[in-house]
Amino acid sequence: MEPIKNDILDYLKDNSFMDTNIGLEDNDSLTQNGIMDSIGLLELMDYICEKYAIEVPEDMLTPENFDSLQGITNLIVKLVK
Amino acid sequence: MSRIVCKKCVLDSDMPGIDINEESGLCHFCETYVPFSAQEKSDYLEKMEELFREYGGRGNYDVVFALSGGKDSSYTLHKLKNEYPFLKVLAVQFDNGFISDNAVENAKKMCELTGSDYFKLTMENEVLYETFRKAAESRDAFPRLAKYRASDICNTCISIIKQKLIEEAIVQDAPFIMFAFTPGQSPNPIIPLKANFIRWSRSIFEKQLQKIGVEDKDEKFLIKNEVIESMGKEGPRMLHPLCLWDYNEGQILESLVEIGWNPPDLNDSNSTNCTLNSFACQNHLEKYGIHPYAFDIAGIVRSGDMSREEGLEKLHQALSQPLIEEAAKKLNCR
Ligand SMILES: [Zn+2]
Repeated sequence: MEPIKNDILDYLKDNSFMDTNIGLEDNDSLTQNGIMDSIGLLELMDYICEKYAIEVPEDMLTPENFDSLQGITNLIVKLVK
Repeated sequence: MSRIVCKKCVLDSDMPGIDINEESGLCHFCETYVPFSAQEKSDYLEKMEELFREYGGRGNYDVVFALSGGKDSSYTLHKLKNEYPFLKVLAVQFDNGFISDNAVENAKKMCELTGSDYFKLTMENEVLYETFRKAAESRDAFPRLAKYRASDICNTCISIIKQKLIEEAIVQDAPFIMFAFTPGQSPNPIIPLKANFIRWSRSIFEKQLQKIGVEDKDEKFLIKNEVIESMGKEGPRMLHPLCLWDYNEGQILESLVEIGWNPPDLNDSNSTNCTLNSFACQNHLEKYGIHPYAFDIAGIVRSGDMSREEGLEKLHQALSQPLIEEAAKKLNCR
C-alpha cells in the first residue's frame, strides 16, 4: 500500500504544483482541496493506467474511488490483482 | 536570488512553483518532458480515424466543435474538414459578451468554407458580466494546476464552454467533441467521457462556481442534469487533433489569411478573439503572480513549435491598457 500511495503523492507534487508542505491526509478530497480539477484527474488516471498496467472500468471512476490518496491506492490494489 | 529563465522553455524562477535546476538549467517540466514521437502521433491519428469510422454517421452530427474564431480553432476546423470531409460538424461559438465582431465574422466564414453548421451560444450579457466580475474578485476557486493553465476568468469561461458542448453533443447524439488545444494545453488527444465522469466534472464545476459566489440554479452554465440522465453509460469522446498535427503559428496564420480569414486588429496578440482577455491576464497576474499564458507558451516552445525568443517576447509583451479599461467598465470593476 505505502509505495503506491507515495508514488501517487510524488506524482501530485510533480504535476499539480501541490504545495509540498501541505498536510494532505489520506482521505482528503483532491478536488475539494484545490489539488485536482477534472483535467488533472484524467491525466492522473492515464498515469495510473500506464504505470500499473491496469484499466479503470467506467463504473469505478467516481469520487469515492478517485478523489483521495486512499481511494486511488485501494483502487489500484484492487485492479492490479 | 536572481531570476533564472529555463534554458529550454520560457518559465522562470520568479514564477511561483517553478524551480530551475541549477545544474541542467532546466525547469522541472523540461527535465521530465517526453514529447509524442512521430510514431505515437500517427498511432493516435489512426485511432482517431478508426473512431470516426466506427461512430460517425449515426447522430445528428459527428462532431460538436468549439470554434472561437481565433487562429487555432479556425485552422483546426479547416484542416479537419479538408482531411475528413465526410464529418458532419456543428461549430459552436460561445458569445461570452466579449467576442469581437471580427471573431464572429471569421467563425461564420470558416463554417461557410468548410460546410459546417454554425451555432452561436448566447447568454444574457448581464449574467455573464456578473459571473466574470465575481471570478475576477475570487481567489483560489480553481486548483493551483488550473491557475497555470489559464486565468480565473478564462477557466470559468472555458468550463462553461466545456459543460455546454458536452450537453450539446449528448443532445445531438454526436460522438465527438473537439477543441483546438495546442500541445501545451492538452497532453491528451483522445478522452472518452463516461457518464460517471461527466457527472463528477459537473459537480466539480458547480463547486467552483459556488466558490466564486455563483449559484447556477437554472443550469445556465452547468450541464443540465436531465440531459445527463438521458444518456447511456458511454458518452462522447473529446478529441484534440491539433496537438497531433504540426504546429507553426506563422504558417497557420498565413494559410488562414489565404482563404479569407481576417487577422484580428488588436494590439494584444493574445487577444485574437476575446476582448476580455487582457483584463483577465492582468487580473490573474495581480492576484497570483502567474501569467496565464506562461504554461501554454512554454509548452509550444518546449515542443519546438515556437522559438524561445518568440515565446519570451509573447510572454513579456505589455497588455493592452485600452482593452483592460474597456473590459473593467463592462464588468463594473474598480
Ligand atoms: Zn522549461
